[in-house]
Amino acid sequence: MLFNSYEFIFFFLPITFFIYFYLNKKRLTEASKGFLVFASLFFYSWWNIAYLPLILVSMLFNYTVGRELSTHTQKNRKYSSKTLLAFGVIFNIALLGYFKYSDFFIININRAFTGDISLLNLALPLAISFYTFQQIAYLVDSYRNETKEYDFLNYAVFVTFFPQLIAGPIVHHAEMMPQFAQAKNKVKNYHNIALGLFIFSMGLFKKVVIADTFAMWATKGFDVAPQLNMLEAWATSLSYTFQLYFDFSGYTDMAIGIALLFNIKLPMNFFSPYKATSIQDFWRRWHITLSRFLKDYLYIPLGGNRKGEMRTYTNLFTTFLLGGIWHGAGWTFVLWGALHGFALIIHRVWQKLGFRMNSVIAWFITFNFINIAWVFFRATSFDSAIKVLHGMFLGEFILPASITKYAEFMSSTGVKLGHWSKLYQHDAYIGLWFIAAFIVILLFSNSMEWKKKFKPNFLYMSLTILFFLSIFLLHRKSEFIYFNF
Amino acid sequence: MLSSKVYLKILFFILGMIVTTTVAYSYYFSKNYPLPITNRISLDAKLQFIREHIDPGKIDTIVVGSSLALNNVQGSYLEKSSNKCKNVLNLSVWSIGPVQVEQLLELSDAFPNLERIIYSGQFSDFGGIDKLKNYDSMFIKKYIRNELNPVAYSSLLLNSCKDLSFCIKRQEEWEKEHGMNNKFAYLKFDHTGSAPLHIYGKDIVQHRWKNPHGAVQNPKAFDALARMAKKAKKDGLKFYFIQQPYRQPLIDKHLHVKHNMKTFPERVKSIITKEGGKFFNLYEKLHLSDKYFADRSHLNDQGSIIGTEEIAKFIDQNEEK
Repeated sequence: MLFNSYEFIFFFLPITFFIYFYLNKKRLTEASKGFLVFASLFFYSWWNIAYLPLILVSMLFNYTVGRELSTHTQKNRKYSSKTLLAFGVIFNIALLGYFKYSDFFIININRAFTGDISLLNLALPLAISFYTFQQIAYLVDSYRNETKEYDFLNYAVFVTFFPQLIAGPIVHHAEMMPQFAQAKNKVKNYHNIALGLFIFSMGLFKKVVIADTFAMWATKGFDVAPQLNMLEAWATSLSYTFQLYFDFSGYTDMAIGIALLFNIKLPMNFFSPYKATSIQDFWRRWHITLSRFLKDYLYIPLGGNRKGEMRTYTNLFTTFLLGGIWHGAGWTFVLWGALHGFALIIHRVWQKLGFRMNSVIAWFITFNFINIAWVFFRATSFDSAIKVLHGMFLGEFILPASITKYAEFMSSTGVKLGHWSKLYQHDAYIGLWFIAAFIVILLFSNSMEWKKKFKPNFLYMSLTILFFLSIFLLHRKSEFIYFNF
Repeated sequence: MLSSKVYLKILFFILGMIVTTTVAYSYYFSKNYPLPITNRISLDAKLQFIREHIDPGKIDTIVVGSSLALNNVQGSYLEKSSNKCKNVLNLSVWSIGPVQVEQLLELSDAFPNLERIIYSGQFSDFGGIDKLKNYDSMFIKKYIRNELNPVAYSSLLLNSCKDLSFCIKRQEEWEKEHGMNNKFAYLKFDHTGSAPLHIYGKDIVQHRWKNPHGAVQNPKAFDALARMAKKAKKDGLKFYFIQQPYRQPLIDKHLHVKHNMKTFPERVKSIITKEGGKFFNLYEKLHLSDKYFADRSHLNDQGSIIGTEEIAKFIDQNEEK
């Protein structure tokens, strides 16, 4: 079930909300938790019930291992906690690897050794990347004695809580379960409901109105057009850059808003990432909970920055390379991760040398690097990526004929004036959308800043209603991009 | 600043009003305009027409095809002129090729007393092999027979209310375009589902009048025709293909049209007669003059009456043998 669907907004969400708080009101706390797990699994199974056994097995396994790690001392066991942790982590990675990377692996084996191994053609179980990471974090936290869980129902709530189940934010057990346990969170909180609805409707607007509009243009450029001129290629790449941000941050806002209805505060996942003035700054603002996971469970265990400069660079590069692979089984994702890893190394060297840069230039370089790197992230193949990049840098430059009188001098420089785009000729407002998108990402407060400022007054009510009107565009229902990862 | 409780009360009241108004509008829309069931307004309009005006149990003859069947065959004149076709349904939809006609004919078992299928077309219909989108024949059968359960029907209404801007646009378009029979967009059907055109003189669109269709035909479109004829035979239905007229000056002027008007009937005839179907070349039979045309291939209402009467004669002759 999608957040941006009628069945979710008008049926699933209100029914779940009322039953959950009714059970809590009757002091049936365990029943309310059980109901929340049931509702979340129903929400999950709506797409395809075939995925349900997998998530149940994964939960049971990780609960058992986590419990073992946190309850028994090593003396009582034949094996060390470290071995048990390694077993748990390997199981999770193997499960993820089997479903997500088998065919990628086989294709490359076939290519390298001109083999003919048949593909498995496995469907990627929904949310597997997210719930696997979340549970690996739980195992490591249990091993470090940073969290404990003795109750399977609690554990199931932690993994399946539907607002964050499908595409995050990736949460820690220790930040979620105390919230579910607090007595004050078991009763309806009108302020949280008002705030939750505001954030949810803002996310809905971002997804349905903004992201899905840019999605049409991105799809045209990446998937439909055989070749692109310069302006078309830039329009294509920028469309995807905006689509991805508004899609994923819209989803996250909706998740945060829904969780607030249940008095649960999910961690922030985006903080105006396109305002970043360095690549390091970008990763502190983009998919924050993934960055946190990669830092805590990969970069630091690899040695972080504690083992000399060269090792730091290697660790950075490895972390981002694996981050790229986590997003998808394809060489384009590997390259995307490598580009970011490489950029972070350059940034670190730059800082080390004590260089400074004007913040406008720094923003310009950072934004363009991110925009160019997204081309690899979005493209279905290297050919498709090269098509867009070729257009961006070597494509024919045609300025719209409508500006002839202002740009006549340019004709002497060889720039063509005429029909600037066949691809976007019917998208009359595309230029205005880009200007509006730049204004929003650079000059407006982000949803988390709005969340802090929220007051139950007519301004916020009007905004909630205005954003809520996006439901009239739900006919162009589309899945969230991060559901694929 | 309001208290959160009061804030929520006002907010929910306004949101409730918006949702209620929308649902009410959807209901109004569903009663007066075609619900968006498929991606074709002429098909949506036809399905709604059948649901509201046709008793499926009575239908013995179905006319199918593109606008060359919708506009060129007048069901009411077929009923008047034929001794065999007593209850006709013109199931035709704009711009559909044989693959889509085949999809339409999936509905044929919704009409238990059906005896014959009349496919009216021209070489120009055999270029495309696209399929109808959002086309679920099981659902549509239930819809046209009024057999949808209340939940399924409510869900259909909800789906139309989902796309409110589309509904408003469709309502405007319907008022402006589809109610006037001097336009090709005419969709107010006679009692059989036909839509005869009153396009004469200044209403004739010159580029449609002067320019012929292209020559491209797709072999897969002919395969679809063969499958339709075979299925009709299997179902015990008579299958007719009517080759529609074309403006003679265009045939004389354009070699590819001349070629197609010769080869297309031969090809179609050989396909359908193999399965016991009958082929009727209305063009050859009538050689209609320009005064009966609304454009290169669509007949005006006078032309379509003449054509329909000939079709009736042909069917009667075949079935009375």
